[in-house]
Amino acid sequence: MSALQVKDVTVTRGAGAVIRDVAFSLEPGRITALVGPNGAGKTSLLEAISGVIPAASGSVHIGDTEVTKHSRVARAKLGLAHIEQGRAVFPGLTVMENLKLTARTWPRVEEVLALFPELDKRRNSPTALLSGGEQQMVVLARAFAARPKFLLIDEMSLGLAPVVFTRLLPMVTRFAEEGAAILLVEQFTHLALGVSQDAIVVSSGKVTYQGSAQDLLNSPETLHSAYLGE
Amino acid sequence: MLQGALAGLAAGGLYAVLAVCLTLMSRLVRVVNFSQSATGMFGCYVAVWLSIHIGLPTWAAAVVGIVLGSALSALLGWIISTWLAEADIGTRSAVTVAVLLLLISLSFILFGNKPQPFHPLLPGPAFSVNGVVVSQVTVVTVVLSVLIALGCRALLTKTSFGLELRALSERPTTAELMGIPAKPLAVAVWAATGLLSTLVITIVAPSQSNDATSLSMLVVPASAAALLGGFRRLDLAVVGGLVLGMAQGAVAQVDSLSVVRYFLPFLVIVGLLLWSQRKEVWDVAR
Ligand SMILES: Nc1ncnc2c1ncn2[C@@H]1O[C@H](COP(=O)(O)OP(=O)(O)O)[C@@H](O)[C@H]1O
Ligand SMILES: [Mg+2]
Repeated sequence: MSALQVKDVTVTRGAGAVIRDVAFSLEPGRITALVGPNGAGKTSLLEAISGVIPAASGSVHIGDTEVTKHSRVARAKLGLAHIEQGRAVFPGLTVMENLKLTARTWPRVEEVLALFPELDKRRNSPTALLSGGEQQMVVLARAFAARPKFLLIDEMSLGLAPVVFTRLLPMVTRFAEEGAAILLVEQFTHLALGVSQDAIVVSSGKVTYQGSAQDLLNSPETLHSAYLGE
Repeated sequence: MLQGALAGLAAGGLYAVLAVCLTLMSRLVRVVNFSQSATGMFGCYVAVWLSIHIGLPTWAAAVVGIVLGSALSALLGWIISTWLAEADIGTRSAVTVAVLLLLISLSFILFGNKPQPFHPLLPGPAFSVNGVVVSQVTVVTVVLSVLIALGCRALLTKTSFGLELRALSERPTTAELMGIPAKPLAVAVWAATGLLSTLVITIVAPSQSNDATSLSMLVVPASAAALLGGFRRLDLAVVGGLVLGMAQGAVAQVDSLSVVRYFLPFLVIVGLLLWSQRKEVWDVAR
């Protein structure tokens, strides 16, 4: 079985639970949109899946392996990649160096650069000197270069103009078509639902909708009440 | 003056190597390692003890001492990366102050407070300039400091190991999420700097003040040198170390100035700190 499964995960931060008993699974080739208001607990959930913070209860499984107590590195080795919120670039490394960190072979670096012509032109620039959109491309390209089986993407659009974001989204689709299972956290709800098959809405740490992305897109009332936690 | 400066060059090479180690530590594993030279001192002392009481040949004892210095440093690195992985640089550095004091006390307890009967590894002069003799120790330490700095730079910029270290130093969590193992790499850096410090202290100690406190406090002039490179640049750390050693040597030659040499590292540290803060002070003053 090659899915990523989240079983009744609860995450606590400081005093209280910020995610309560959330369960879902990510299947190869499918994109799942995870949406919800600010502070709903989306980032905390992703962090518990990749091991940035521990889960208070419940379990996370990558394929047949339970990884709830595994280190971040061990989870990454099992094919999990996590694009963090904000622009997680290494400012002092060049574009090429960023890619070399995750690509196992040279051809893979070239393959990924071919997908991002903007980056190809600036392969030897320190990442710090790129624009916000280009930096986010580096982050995405770096994740792709590793060929992860499971990819968690946290608010890729943060601080980017919508046009830049719409340029990045097809890359995510393409990557799912190549067989990756993707969890896409996004503030641009409609754009995210538009490229996803499955959808989860969280509000105040609880799942308020879980089902087809298309259905949610077609029913603004459902989306609205899910956001309000009803 | 020239004679003094050349005489100070061995100490300069020692400061330079230690400054390179301090710079690597602060850049790569987020710690100002106050025990950098104390671990080296302890390794040397054990080596001297082994050669005197067990009768090991000098070089064999030196090898054991160097390995021990490296292992001590690695152990400390393992402890800090296990229990203080997410702590800030101040807290992590504070632990090394405790280790510095511990190692000094331990060496008093184990080896007494008299200077140790060191056997020089490299006896004798290498060559002389205008009648001023330059020792083998001087040549080896200076060459070693330059080679170590160049080697480290090549390692950091040209190898995948170095690339991973730089990534870890910039964003540890992100690097770990990409599968880069933070702890083993950090421990490797601690082990390597421990080895280099003990090696260079082993070479120079026989011809310096070599009581436990003097050797442990070499971290002060080394910090002054590292500060010249802002704890980031290896080349400036080497230059800083060599210049400081030579300046101390030159000053020591002039009777009326000879006490000044003990204050030189302090003056350099204060001077560099004030210089680096000049803009902030200016901005606040406006
Ligand atoms: N580092 C932290 N320490 C304590 N509480 C936090 C921390 N980060 C987030 N929180 C709290 O956890 C809750 C969920 O936040 P987050 O997971 O960032 O939500 P989202 O990503 O959906 O905006 C919020 O109430 C937030 O205030
Ligand atoms: Mg968030």
